[in-house]
Amino acid sequence: MNLFNSLEISASALSAERQRSEVVAANLANAETTRTEAGGPFHRREVVFRSAGQPFGLTLANAVNGGGGKAGGVEISDVIDDPTPPIMRYEPGHPDANQDGYVAYPAINPVSEMVDLEDSVRAYQLNASAVSATKQMIQQSFDVLKS
Amino acid sequence: MSNAIPGLGSIGSTGSIGSIGPGASMPGATPLDQTGSTSFTGVLSNAVQQVDQLNTGASQQISNLLQGGNSDVSSVMIAVEKADVAFQLMMQVRNKIVNAYQEIEKMQF
Amino acid sequence: MSDQAATISGLESFLRLTSLREKAISTNMANVDTPGYHTQDIDFQAEFNRAISTPQGDGENGGMMQLEPAAREVPGLMERADGNNVDLDREAMAMSQVQLQYQLGIQLIRSQFHTLLSAIKDGN
Repeated sequence: MNLFNSLEISASALSAERQRSEVVAANLANAETTRTEAGGPFHRREVVFRSAGQPFGLTLANAVNGGGGKAGGVEISDVIDDPTPPIMRYEPGHPDANQDGYVAYPAINPVSEMVDLEDSVRAYQLNASAVSATKQMIQQSFDVLKS
Repeated sequence: MSNAIPGLGSIGSTGSIGSIGPGASMPGATPLDQTGSTSFTGVLSNAVQQVDQLNTGASQQISNLLQGGNSDVSSVMIAVEKADVAFQLMMQVRNKIVNAYQEIEKMQF
Repeated sequence: MSDQAATISGLESFLRLTSLREKAISTNMANVDTPGYHTQDIDFQAEFNRAISTPQGDGENGGMMQLEPAAREVPGLMERADGNNVDLDREAMAMSQVQLQYQLGIQLIRSQFHTLLSAIKDGN
């Protein structure tokens, strides 16, 4: 419903951040996975954000002229595999070792994944505050009719 | 306040209600017509129409909002409140007019 | 003043549908861990348009013979391993939205009644 469009914008951001944190969590969990169904080590995954809806400038122009138009939120356009080649470690006794005794490990740096996770959490908090603020504004506009 | 509700503003500026005379001194009033009825009636019905318009406009904005149109909550609230306040003002003015009429009736010559 | 009456009946339908949607959302939230449960919702806009365009009952049965809105599944939600596709973010957002809608409806109805009452009381 168009009634609370601004809430939907923040909702899209919350959803996108949550999905991003899920992808980061999957990366962290699989940091040492050498064997996957597709063969080879786990590939680090990344999300790509994209702005949804029309650009804000257009929405503002429409609003000033009395028209409509949905202002944008954010959406996840793609979950891509990181093309970085896997890290090779020399472990001849490992069941997944190749002929030279090297095992391919995913190129996942836990520290950078944790930074991404913090980032995602912070963005989630910010958007949740935006939702709170929007709700407060709407509720205060109801006070016009009180008394 | 009288800017937002122009019809009622002109009622306020007509001075004392007792002077129901020629309409030439009243701003925006219609001239005295042949049947002798005063232009004050014109002003009053104009005001009533404007209040009605505000009311209808507010109801339309509400249904537009509920049906998912593009109006936003604050402008609908303000429109509803404007209509309500205009209506209250009109009620008070009407009460004053009725009281004044009754006062005049009580006068004995 | 018939404006008031029409708006009031429109707002009545609005509030009724809002509280029905609130029930659907609570059900979804309660079933967040149920295996195989799919999110249910009502198409608020369509149901509202239907409610205001059908004439209300003629008072014999109190005008309450309205068709129940159809609950339908929400498309586009991702299913987890246990078959459950409830997205808590979406449900939480829908819950705030529904609460705000309800408050909006109540405030608007109060103002309609306020105008009617001040007409009845003659401005006193």
